[in-house]
Amino acid sequence: MKVVIIGASYAGVAAALEVRKQHKDAEVILLEKQPTLGYIPNGLHLYWNDQIRSLDEAYFITEKQLKVQQIHFQLNTTVKKIHSVLKEVIYDQNGIEEKLTYDKLIIATGSSQLSQKIIGSDSEQVVRYKRHEEAEAALATIKASKRVAIIGGGQVGIEAADLLSRQQKQVTLIESMNYVLFKYFDEEMIQPVQRKMNEQGVDLRLNETVSAIQSEAEQSAVIQLGTDSITSDTVLLSVNVRPDLHFLDEHIQLHMDQTIAVDEYMRTSAKDVFAIGDCIQLTFGEDSEMAYIPLVNNAVRTGIVAASNIERANIPFKGSLRTIGTFVFGYYIASTGITEAESLFTSQTVKSVRQEVRLNSLSNSETVMIKWIYDESSRVLLGAQLVSKTDILEKINILALAIQTKQTLEDLQQKDFFFHPAYTSLLSTTNLSTWLHEEEDEDEI
Amino acid sequence: MKFEHFLEKNEIREVTIFKQLVLSGGTLTYSAMLEHLNVTKASLDNDLDSIAARIQVFKGEVEISYDGNQITLIMSDEMSLQKIYRLYLSQSIKVQLINFLFKHQEFSILQLTQELAISDSSLFRKIKELNKYLKEFEIKIRNGRLQGEELQIRYFYFQFYGYIEDKNVLMANRANKQISQAVQAVENFLQVSIDSENKQRLNQWMIISKHRVTSKNKKYVYLRKQMKPYLKDPLYQKIRIMVLRYFSRYSIEVDEEEAMLHFAFLLAFPILTEPDFHEYALIRDRRAPIATLDTYIVETIIIHFKYRKLHYMLERDMFYHLSHIHTRLYFFQGDIEVYEYEELMAKEQEFTGRSLYSFAQRLLKTSTEKFEVNTDENNSLLKMELLKYISLLTIVTFKMTTVVEIGIDLRMDQIYKETLNQLLLLKMRHINGTKIEGYRAGKAYDLILTNEQPADQKHYGDAKVYVLSEILSPFDLQNIQTLIQELNT
Repeated sequence: MKVVIIGASYAGVAAALEVRKQHKDAEVILLEKQPTLGYIPNGLHLYWNDQIRSLDEAYFITEKQLKVQQIHFQLNTTVKKIHSVLKEVIYDQNGIEEKLTYDKLIIATGSSQLSQKIIGSDSEQVVRYKRHEEAEAALATIKASKRVAIIGGGQVGIEAADLLSRQQKQVTLIESMNYVLFKYFDEEMIQPVQRKMNEQGVDLRLNETVSAIQSEAEQSAVIQLGTDSITSDTVLLSVNVRPDLHFLDEHIQLHMDQTIAVDEYMRTSAKDVFAIGDCIQLTFGEDSEMAYIPLVNNAVRTGIVAASNIERANIPFKGSLRTIGTFVFGYYIASTGITEAESLFTSQTVKSVRQEVRLNSLSNSETVMIKWIYDESSRVLLGAQLVSKTDILEKINILALAIQTKQTLEDLQQKDFFFHPAYTSLLSTTNLSTWLHEEEDEDEI
Repeated sequence: MKFEHFLEKNEIREVTIFKQLVLSGGTLTYSAMLEHLNVTKASLDNDLDSIAARIQVFKGEVEISYDGNQITLIMSDEMSLQKIYRLYLSQSIKVQLINFLFKHQEFSILQLTQELAISDSSLFRKIKELNKYLKEFEIKIRNGRLQGEELQIRYFYFQFYGYIEDKNVLMANRANKQISQAVQAVENFLQVSIDSENKQRLNQWMIISKHRVTSKNKKYVYLRKQMKPYLKDPLYQKIRIMVLRYFSRYSIEVDEEEAMLHFAFLLAFPILTEPDFHEYALIRDRRAPIATLDTYIVETIIIHFKYRKLHYMLERDMFYHLSHIHTRLYFFQGDIEVYEYEELMAKEQEFTGRSLYSFAQRLLKTSTEKFEVNTDENNSLLKMELLKYISLLTIVTFKMTTVVEIGIDLRMDQIYKETLNQLLLLKMRHINGTKIEGYRAGKAYDLILTNEQPADQKHYGDAKVYVLSEILSPFDLQNIQTLIQELNT
C-alpha cells in the first residue's frame, strides 16, 4: 500500500506516524512545500519569549526521526493537481513537474493567514510568520520596527501583542469584534486581559475592520479603518487562517466555506482520498454541528483518525471542543467547549455561572476565575473558561474531558480529586465547589 | 416590473383572457373579448386552443368553453387565478433562466442554451428583454452573471422567489438546519421574537444570503454610502456582531457589508413585530435620515387631517409602517408589482369615500426628494410605496374617524317622507364614519338634513343643519360629504 500525504506539518506527520504504526509494510511518502518539515507554527513566539535560542529549535520532529520510521519525504514539493480517478498527484519539485501515483491519499496542506478583503495585505510592510521562512523575515523586519500594528485579536495576535509590547514596541491591535479572543471567551471573562493590555501600552482598537494597507514613504504603512487610519512601521497579519485547495479536482466536494467535506472517518467524496487538519470542518458542540477549528490538537487527532481508517472505516472522529490554553499579559487563560455568546447559535437553552475560586487553602492563595456553561435542563457541562495569574492551564483538560464524557454539574462535584492544603482549596477547583467563594452570576448552582 | 414580464406576448394574452372572465363574472361575449384584447379572430381562436391544451394539467378543475357567442369560465372551488398564473410562470423560459442564474451564479451561453433547450439567438433575446425589466433594479445579466449592487441582487432574488417563482423551488434542498439556526440566531442576538410568517420570509432571505455570501466581486458602493449615518446604529451593531461571530465559525472571510445587507433587509421588510420595532425606535438615532423622514411624514399627516392628537398606539403603528416604506425607498431600487396597481387604487377610492391618492402622492414626492432617489414614473418601487402610503392613510382615517350622527328630518307628506328617507339612507351608507337615521326628537345629532329652512333651530341643539336643494342630487351629496369630513376632523 502506497500512502501519499500532502503536507508535513502536525496533521500530515501525525498521519504518517500512525500509518507506519498500523501498517508496517506500507510505503509512506510525505510531500512538503517548504524546504523544511515539522516546524512549529508561530515558533517565533517561543523565540521572543526566550524559550528557544533560535528558530532552528522550533521543530516538533526531525527528519532523522522520520527516517528511522521509514517515512519518505520530499521537500520543496508543491502539489499542482490531484487526479482522484487516476489516483495521481502532479507536483512541482524545484521547478520540475513530476507525477506520483498513490493507493491512498491524505490531504494535510494546512492553512495560512491570508486576506482577500484587505487591499494591500500582501504589501512589503505586512508580515506573517506561521512558517519558518516567513518567521526569519518577520524577525528581522519587526526588530527594525518601532511601531507594530497587529490585525486580528485571536490567540496569535494577542500573544504577539504581549511579546512585542514587552520589547518596548508601540503596539496597536485591531480587532473587528467588540472584544479580543471572542471565539474562546465571553466578553466579561476577558476584561482583565484587556485592562492589562491597556496598562502595558497596547493601543486596542475594537470594532474596527481594516479595509486597506498602503505603503508609505520611509518604510511605513497606513492602515485604513472605517473612519480612521493608523500609521505603523510593520503590520502583522494575524487574521483567521484559511486553507488553499486550488489543486483539488472536481470529485472532491467542498463545503460552502471552501473546506473539504469529509465524513467522520475523514474520508472525502473521492475514493481513497482523506483530508485532515486545517483543510476540513469538524463536528463541534451539540447536535454534531460543523465548524472550522484550525488548531494543532485537531490536526494531530484527525491525522491519527484518518490513518486508522485508511483501509476501512474503523474509528470515527469524536469531535472538537476547541480547547486552548495560553499565557498573555500576565494571565493564564484557557477555554474549552462552547461560549455563552455563541450558544445563541444553538437551539439549546444554556445557563452559566462565574465564580472566583481559591487555588489552595493557604491565606495568600491565588484565585482563578472560572466560567461554567451548561445545558439548563440536563445540567450537562458544555463549556468552561479559566482566567488566573497562576498556571492553571492543565485544569482545562479535566474540564474538556468532562464535556467530552457528558458530565453534569452534579457529576463533577462527585469526582474523586486529591486534597492537599498547599495545592487545593476545600474541594479541587474542577470539583465545582458551591460555597466559600463569591458567585458573580445570578444563576444558582 | 410585473409578473407578465416573465411571459411571452401570447401567454400574456392568455392570462388576460382568464382575468377578464373572472372580472366579468365568468362570462364574456366573443366580440367583447376581441375588443378588449384588440386582436384578430384568428389570434383569439389560437389563444383559446392554446389555453385548452395548457389547462389539461388541471384535469377539469378549470375549463373555458366557447359556444359561438359567449366565452365561459368554469373553475372548481379550489382553483384560483393565482394557480393559473403559477402554471404559466412555471413554464416560462425567463423564470427558468433566473433560477439557473441563482443556482449557478455564473453561466456560459452553451450551458444555458443546453439547459433551456433554446437557440443562441432566442437566449440573447430573452436576456435582452429581461435586462430591460431588471433595469429598475439597477442590475443586469452580463458576461455570464447577474451584475450590480449586492443588495439589489439579493433583493431581486428575494422578490422573485417571493412572488414569481414557487417558494418551494427555493426552499427545497436549501431550507436546512443551518438556515433555521441562522433565523433562530437572529431572534437570540437581537432579542426579538419573529412571527411564523415573517420567519418564512427571513428563511428565504437567509437562503439567498447563504448562497450569495461566497460569490466573488460583490459590489457595495451604494450600500456603503447609504449606511454612513447608520454605522453606530444599535441594531446594526448587534447585527454586525452576530454576522462576524457566525462566520468566524467557518473558513470564510466575510465582508463587513454582509451585516449592512441584513440591516437594510430587516428594517425594510416587516420582519420585526411592532413592539420589537418600537423598542428599536426608542434607541435609534432620530436625526438619521429614515427616522427623520418618519417623523416628518407623521407630522405632515397629522397637520393635513387637522388631528389634534393621535391615539398612542395608532401613532406607533404609523411609525412602524412608515419606517418600512422609508427604509425601502432609502436602500432599495425597483420592485415587482404584486398587486394590480390601478385596480387597487380604484378600490381604495371607493372604500374611503374620498381620494387620498393626491395626498399620498404628495407624501411620496416629499420622501423621494428628501432621499434624492430615482423618481422615474415607471419604477415599480414608487408605485408600490405609493400604494402603501394610501393604505396607511386609509388605516389612519378609519381609526381616527369619529362617528357622525346624522338625522334626516324631511318636511313633507308621510308617504314621501318614508320613501325618501330610505333612499337617502341607501345613498349615504357607503360614507365612512356615519350613522344615519330618521330624525327622532330629543336625540342629539351632529348633522341634520332637511328640505326646508327651519324657522327655529333650537330643538336641533348643537347640530349643524343642511338644507337639501334637491333631494338625492349629486350636488347635495357632495356638499354633505364635505360637511362630514369637516365634522370628522
